[in-house]
Amino acid sequence: MASALSSAKKEISRAYWAFSLPAFVLYLFVFAFPIILSAVISLSNYKGGQMFGGEPWKLTGFKQYGILFADPAFWQALKNNIYIVLVSVLGQLPLGFVFAYLIYRKVVKFGDFWEGILYMPAIISVIVLGIMWKFIFASNGLLADIFTAGNMRHLVAAIDAALKSGPDLSDDGIRHILKAMDPSVVGLLGSDPVAGFKEQLLPGGSVHISDVGAFVAALKNYAPKWTPDFMTKQDAAMIPIMFVTLWCWTGMYIILFRANMEKIDHEVIEAARIDGANEMQIARRIVLPALSGIIINAAILCIAGSMNQFSLIWAMTGGGPMNVTEVLSIYMYRTATIGVNYPLSNAIAMVIVVFSFVLIGLTKVAEKGLGGTEE
Amino acid sequence: MSTATLDAERRFKTTFFGKAMAAVGKAVAYAVMGFFALMAVYPVLWLGINSFKSNAEYQLNKMGLPQEWFPINYKGAWELGDFSILLPNSIFYTVVGTAGVVLLAALSGFAFAKLGGKAKGAMYGSFVVGIMLSLSSLMIPLFLQISQFDLSIGTLLHALGLVGDPMSFHLFYNTRFGVILVYIGSGLPLAIYMTTEYIKGIPTALVEAARIDGASYWRIFTSVILPICVPIITTVAIITLPGIWNEFALINIIVGKLELQSLPLGILRFSGSRAADYGKQFAALVIGLMPMLLFYVAFHKQITKGVSGGAVKG
Repeated sequence: MASALSSAKKEISRAYWAFSLPAFVLYLFVFAFPIILSAVISLSNYKGGQMFGGEPWKLTGFKQYGILFADPAFWQALKNNIYIVLVSVLGQLPLGFVFAYLIYRKVVKFGDFWEGILYMPAIISVIVLGIMWKFIFASNGLLADIFTAGNMRHLVAAIDAALKSGPDLSDDGIRHILKAMDPSVVGLLGSDPVAGFKEQLLPGGSVHISDVGAFVAALKNYAPKWTPDFMTKQDAAMIPIMFVTLWCWTGMYIILFRANMEKIDHEVIEAARIDGANEMQIARRIVLPALSGIIINAAILCIAGSMNQFSLIWAMTGGGPMNVTEVLSIYMYRTATIGVNYPLSNAIAMVIVVFSFVLIGLTKVAEKGLGGTEE
Repeated sequence: MSTATLDAERRFKTTFFGKAMAAVGKAVAYAVMGFFALMAVYPVLWLGINSFKSNAEYQLNKMGLPQEWFPINYKGAWELGDFSILLPNSIFYTVVGTAGVVLLAALSGFAFAKLGGKAKGAMYGSFVVGIMLSLSSLMIPLFLQISQFDLSIGTLLHALGLVGDPMSFHLFYNTRFGVILVYIGSGLPLAIYMTTEYIKGIPTALVEAARIDGASYWRIFTSVILPICVPIITTVAIITLPGIWNEFALINIIVGKLELQSLPLGILRFSGSRAADYGKQFAALVIGLMPMLLFYVAFHKQITKGVSGGAVKG
């Protein structure tokens, strides 16, 4: 009897190991060993040679971390990570909540349709999307064209207004047109722009415009040209990245929040409605408190996501110009590939890993504090 | 104030004032929703339209429809971008990787949910922790690890007289095997968490009854657990698949040579080398996003379900 029991136990244990070991070995290979290796290398002077029985290397202590924290590029990268966290927590979460609520309360019909469209960017490769947005934000890209076209329409409207009372241009009309023109072109017209306009831009030097179409066509190119220099200007370079981050992943929070709103007891909301509560009150007093745990989890997810951010920025800017759009992972990559400084690069990796562990701890605390019921 | 007057007041508010407000609110809600939906779709649509323009036309006309359609851009992009290599590679990595994740997750999910051992808590816990670990932070350590493994194995095989140059031996770096291992490993934490929680919900009595009937654990896994797990396996597969298909950071450090590159790698390389060849550039991007777009249209419901199920834990 005892032996039968122990053989059953042995069998269950054998089955356990047979079923779980393959996955666990792979987990060690991809997660655990690299982390341990990274910790060791970050404390050494390892230069990339053969690790066992090769070129000698030794542990040198926490020197690399000192170098890291003294490097302005590290703080720049950390700041950019924080920018992404901010746009996620203050942008994605509120927008996600509002859209989820509108769909959940059926304020808008065809909720699945809207949700489906807004989530769509998240399913496409960020490499493809990053390159696409690079073309849109480029100094000669779509955005520049849209704004310049707007300026052109403004100029054409000014010409139309100036010619409304008749085919002759008045000085006031010319001033009106000048206002809608590119200031740098106006500057070329001399100290008295109205006189300069008459002299240089009127067909045949006459204020009588017989062919409005030709006049408009000739002037159209003097509309202010808008050339966005997001990608070349240092302080503005993070704006497109933050925008695309918001654009790409808000849909995920719509899905997440909506799924959890559907779990709220419907009778509570019905009762509130019968008591005369409006949508705003239902959202603030019932739905928001019910989702507080999920929202905190989502915020932690945002921070984790920002720590994992690499590919989108790599495709959009490659960390440039002058490394101003680097996040920690890109900084780590650059240190390893261009600087070939493996100890420093691994010190950065360790900072990110430690940060991840802090986040995991926070999730646990948040779950306990809010009586979270997952698990 | 009596409840009757209060009720009357409320009714008044909801009928007149309330109705007007609700109508305005609805209009605003639709406008905002429509605006954001347009923002989501328009750039992709714009990309599609401009992939049919000639290079010269794109520079003059970025917003409108093409005056002359150039479907030939696709032919050019396909050939110059080596898509006949990239696409099969991506399909291979995604299919094998997803199958591996799903299978290993089901196996270990069964072990964690129904077959406890002494190490169970620590092992399952380490997978749950892995969900939140930043994989991007591990790309350099992972690269160093696989090069060291390759070098060590190469040296050993060299000592045994099996390979000539220990430096040229690669088991993990620049091999399909290495890519697949890393992809399966990186997909496992979330997959195992979702599968284990699902299998915990299956009555243990079913497993015990099968044991009493004399079935082996392998038999129980294949004929009791797997059939019940079809829904969760589908969900896990559907959220794992786009992740592998779109993955860039890790394959970027594991794979150097063209013959092994996946779509994201190849598209970025193509984009770097022909930045001013707009028509073909856009065509390449459309080829790159089309498979996932179609996948999304086909499995939109299941993807939504998977995202909400998988993200809760974070």
